[in-house]
Amino acid sequence: MNNPTTPIKALNERRLDAVRRRLDGASLAEVSHAVGLSVPTVVAAVKAYESDGWDGVAVKPRGRPAASSAVSKQQLAELRSELIQHVAVTNAVIESEHLWTTARVHEWLIEKGVKLSAATAGRHARAWGLAPASPAPNEKPAAGTERQRFITIAKREKRRLVWISSHTLTSGEASNILLCAHTARGLCLWTLLSEIDETRFLAFLTAVEAYVKTPLAPMVQLSRAIEKSWVTQWENRTNHTVLLLPAVVNTTTSNSTLTSTASSTMTANTTSTQASGSPLPALSTLTHLQRLEAESIHIMREVVAEAENPVMLYSIGKDSAVMLHLAVKAFYPAPPPFPLLHVDTTWKFQEMYKFRDQIAKELGFELLVHQNEEGIKQGVSPFTHGSELHTDILKTQGLKQALDKYEFDVAFGGARRDEEKSRAKERVFSFRTSAHRWEPKSQRPELWNLYNAKKRKGESIRVFPLSNWTELDIWQYIHQQSIPIVPLYFSDERPIVERDGQMIMVDDDRMPLLEGETPEMKRVRFRTLGCYPLTGAVESNATTLTDIIQEMLLATTSERQGRLIDHDTSASMEKKKQEGYF
Amino acid sequence: MNQPNQDLIASDINAYLSQHENKSLLRFITCGSVDDGKSTLIGRLLYESKVLFEDQLDAVASDSKKWGTQGKEMDFALLVDGLAAEREQGITIDVAYRFFATDNRKFIVADTPGHEQYTRNMVTGASTCDAAVILCDARQGVLTQTKRHSYLLSLLGIRNVVLAVNKMDLMKYDESVYTEIVESYQEFAKEIGLDNVTPIPMSALCGDNILARSPEMPWYHGPTLLSYLETAEVNDEFRRNAPFRLPVQWVNRPNLDFRGFAGSIASGTVKPGDTVRVQPSGKTSTVARIVTHDGDLSEAIAGQSVTLTLEDEIDVSRGDIISTTEEPASTADQFESTIVWMHDEPMHAGRPYWLKIGTKTVSVTITDIKHEVNVNTLEQTAAKQLELNAIGVCNINTDQPIAFDTFDENQETGSFILIDRVGNHTVGAGMLHFALRRSENIHMQATDVNKARRAELKGQKPAVVWFTGLSGAGKSTVANIVEKKLAAAGHHTYLLDGDNVRHGLNKDLGFTDSDRVENIRRIGEVAGLMVDAGMIVLTAFISPFRSERALARSIVGEGEFIEVFVETPLAIAEERDPKGLYKKARRGELKNFTGIDSPYEPPENAEILVDTGTLSAEQAAERVIAEMRKRGLLEG
Repeated sequence: MNNPTTPIKALNERRLDAVRRRLDGASLAEVSHAVGLSVPTVVAAVKAYESDGWDGVAVKPRGRPAASSAVSKQQLAELRSELIQHVAVTNAVIESEHLWTTARVHEWLIEKGVKLSAATAGRHARAWGLAPASPAPNEKPAAGTERQRFITIAKREKRRLVWISSHTLTSGEASNILLCAHTARGLCLWTLLSEIDETRFLAFLTAVEAYVKTPLAPMVQLSRAIEKSWVTQWENRTNHTVLLLPAVVNTTTSNSTLTSTASSTMTANTTSTQASGSPLPALSTLTHLQRLEAESIHIMREVVAEAENPVMLYSIGKDSAVMLHLAVKAFYPAPPPFPLLHVDTTWKFQEMYKFRDQIAKELGFELLVHQNEEGIKQGVSPFTHGSELHTDILKTQGLKQALDKYEFDVAFGGARRDEEKSRAKERVFSFRTSAHRWEPKSQRPELWNLYNAKKRKGESIRVFPLSNWTELDIWQYIHQQSIPIVPLYFSDERPIVERDGQMIMVDDDRMPLLEGETPEMKRVRFRTLGCYPLTGAVESNATTLTDIIQEMLLATTSERQGRLIDHDTSASMEKKKQEGYF
Repeated sequence: MNQPNQDLIASDINAYLSQHENKSLLRFITCGSVDDGKSTLIGRLLYESKVLFEDQLDAVASDSKKWGTQGKEMDFALLVDGLAAEREQGITIDVAYRFFATDNRKFIVADTPGHEQYTRNMVTGASTCDAAVILCDARQGVLTQTKRHSYLLSLLGIRNVVLAVNKMDLMKYDESVYTEIVESYQEFAKEIGLDNVTPIPMSALCGDNILARSPEMPWYHGPTLLSYLETAEVNDEFRRNAPFRLPVQWVNRPNLDFRGFAGSIASGTVKPGDTVRVQPSGKTSTVARIVTHDGDLSEAIAGQSVTLTLEDEIDVSRGDIISTTEEPASTADQFESTIVWMHDEPMHAGRPYWLKIGTKTVSVTITDIKHEVNVNTLEQTAAKQLELNAIGVCNINTDQPIAFDTFDENQETGSFILIDRVGNHTVGAGMLHFALRRSENIHMQATDVNKARRAELKGQKPAVVWFTGLSGAGKSTVANIVEKKLAAAGHHTYLLDGDNVRHGLNKDLGFTDSDRVENIRRIGEVAGLMVDAGMIVLTAFISPFRSERALARSIVGEGEFIEVFVETPLAIAEERDPKGLYKKARRGELKNFTGIDSPYEPPENAEILVDTGTLSAEQAAERVIAEMRKRGLLEG
């Protein structure tokens, strides 16, 4: 046990040993027994390591320290206010001399005759609020998120990523604004301002750009201090986009607010039983997105409670992405209790396959992929058989085969009522006969939120949790929740041929080129995703989610226009659905 | 999207998004008959809020030429009439949902057809709505159907109602026409307890008082339709002030340390630390956490989907209601309710159904139809059954106590659907009025000499052998031989058949479907008592409906019910015609004869199937005895 006479050096060795053992995964009791320290001491040592690294583990010599070797609390407080007075910029000019780093704080302290190490100076700067933590999330952004897109483009254009944030710093009665720029490598440049406006904000960015000697790719965390119009101003001036990070209420929640979807899904899989952080504030009323979210979650839970063997159909599109996100939410902290099923026509875009495998793994879903092998053996392709036959054999028949093979009794689909006229009348719980047929005239009435999931053996139900969402709701929700989507939704240079008035991407060499057709690189994106030979691209410069939403809101044709299968025959979707197409 | 919005989208998409991410949501229904201009109104709303794309407008323009009823004008109705079959007939046949938004709200419109099946579709559409717009043709005034729609809305407790006096353009925007209609309507509305009706004069075709105030009607000073809809109170706001209720949907148990109760908050608010009562068990505990994927909540409100954890390890399962201890939900198993019937097959008193209320599904029997309400005249008439679209006040009896509130107090925990036990269709919708208190005073008497003891005395295993099949199939003949064989082996049996029951116990019953249901229910109960007495009971009735046979099966224990389907083609049964009944029926002298003008639903999973077309009666009886032996009901 911790003998009070243990010499400091020996004690510190034991403390270091304890931390090492603990990090290696030994239990507290084992560590305590092995090194001869009490459990609370081991805990304290580990905590010290977690906050200050190995340097923090050792305890300081006991007794009153010699007056010369350390700075008293009183002195520290005085130094802080002196430094703040020294660095605060009161006019609108911000140049490189006004940019401070922890290293400069160290230099200044040395000049003041305070002898300390750079590490200790850094600790003081942190304690004084002059080196706030970076708003950058620890995790890499998931594929398809807006942040990931932004970072990729910034790297391509050789621009320096910086996170811009603002903080309030009080000293005595004075209140200043600390403007920070964090680089990816951990450098924090800051300026202390008595007040902030557009000129000062832009001057700060300019100074940071001069300091790093590289054009910036700023990611700005909005706050009460930083206004959006200033950011727009910077974009206009530099002709480069800025990524906006959501505003945070206070610094204690800043990290969790900024966490990307990828990280929140990680927490979904660790079935933690501890409340994390402080509780979220109460809502006064629900917004339309909150109501839609709650309804979709309600629907998913009803299915899981009543179905024997449910499955979620995954099409890799944006609606599927939202459905997956909602499934994670509905069953948290448990993982979603059903697999994903992708009915693969083998003609999807390569990027879709990559995204599919990655996202299923990240979110912890079991992924089942079914292909209509008979159809594939017969060489069914959209080029030789036409879109109608291709869809029927590989998609509709493939889906029926998969449902029969795994004996799924309920299948979630991402269809929305606003997509198409015949969908507007479909129920949320859409009953299918044992031959998978939809009978529009004998649909079960659906009242209140009471869903009837009863069925006989062999019969099945398709459930559409997104029935009441519109396309705009989907995009707004993806934006609000930072849900990852396939990069094909964003504009990029892609090889395109024009055929029958549609721009088709040449995604692989299975596409036979007609006479006179040469793929041309064009900046395009896709508003809807399906089999690549059947999915028309649109010319676009939309590289961010907000660009996409903007483009969509200003568009003049509806979403399915790009999808060739709906044009086949009039009332075509209704016919397909009766036959079992989703 | 109107012009200022387009500018905002173009100049500052982020500002637009933050403004539009915080809209509220209102669901409303439009009611009216075929010619009141309902589809035109919805088309107009979509058009005015600019949610239509060029390709959709093009499609409508081309469709207008093909099917339109407005000459060269754009026929808005074609925008909303979805299914191909409907377009050809020029009518809508189901509930369709439409979406549009203004700067302040997103709207979901339930569009319901205005002819046959109307009650069913309108009740379905209105059940999820915050508000309703009743269309009324200014040329016609208040019609029977205007009243019918209003009655249904009052039945469903819709709080915000607009009386849209449409087609004012055809009445030269005359104020006196409007005033007269409104006055006569208000009188009726008061009668049915529909307060809070806002009348608006309009023309959906011309766009008067839809979005913009009509210059044609300067005498009108109330809100336009859209400004009314943008400010009407949504149900969530109302539900928030009711006592806390959370019907448990799913118990979330990812590991041994976490036990959460997932559900949507039906009403009220909840905070960690609140004491709660779990109904129907009545156990109490304290809310520990409100868990969501976004983080724990300090408070949750009506409409949110959450997961609660409790401080104590008490038994909570799907179907229970977690409520505030101050005003907990009630529990009971007998109720008076209003039922709206929604299926072609009529509702019969005495027949069992599934009842789903909140997240709980139980077995229910309609014990009594107190009266039917004529939706056109509001008159109450006696009824033995409820046909499609009929509305009745009924007593119902669930097989176990359920947690509930009356529909007036809480629509979420006071509404239910009825599900047919054979076809699994949703056949009815209901609203609970109150619990019948007598349920508390009837208890099963536990007796010391029980079924097992009585069976032991007789040295046999009690059972019901239920023969079903067409008249003339040979049920009685086969049952009679089986009974003789059983008696010879020393068993105590009783054969129930038409003669010994119809002449006494059931002499008040005829041959309508309702009476047949009650006939079989009583026989099932009698057979159940006899099995309880330790006897082997044989029954020989046509018993044409699956539901009643299922009910009889549920009265006795597992393995004690043997269904024998005596199968004979109708032609052979008719040829045999031992009692001359088929001939009478064919001559039209005998109504409701099974197989001729009344249906027979063959069993799907009968324990024994005997085809008397190929087997003799003796062989059939042997088959039955063998099967009973195989099932361990007979020794040796």
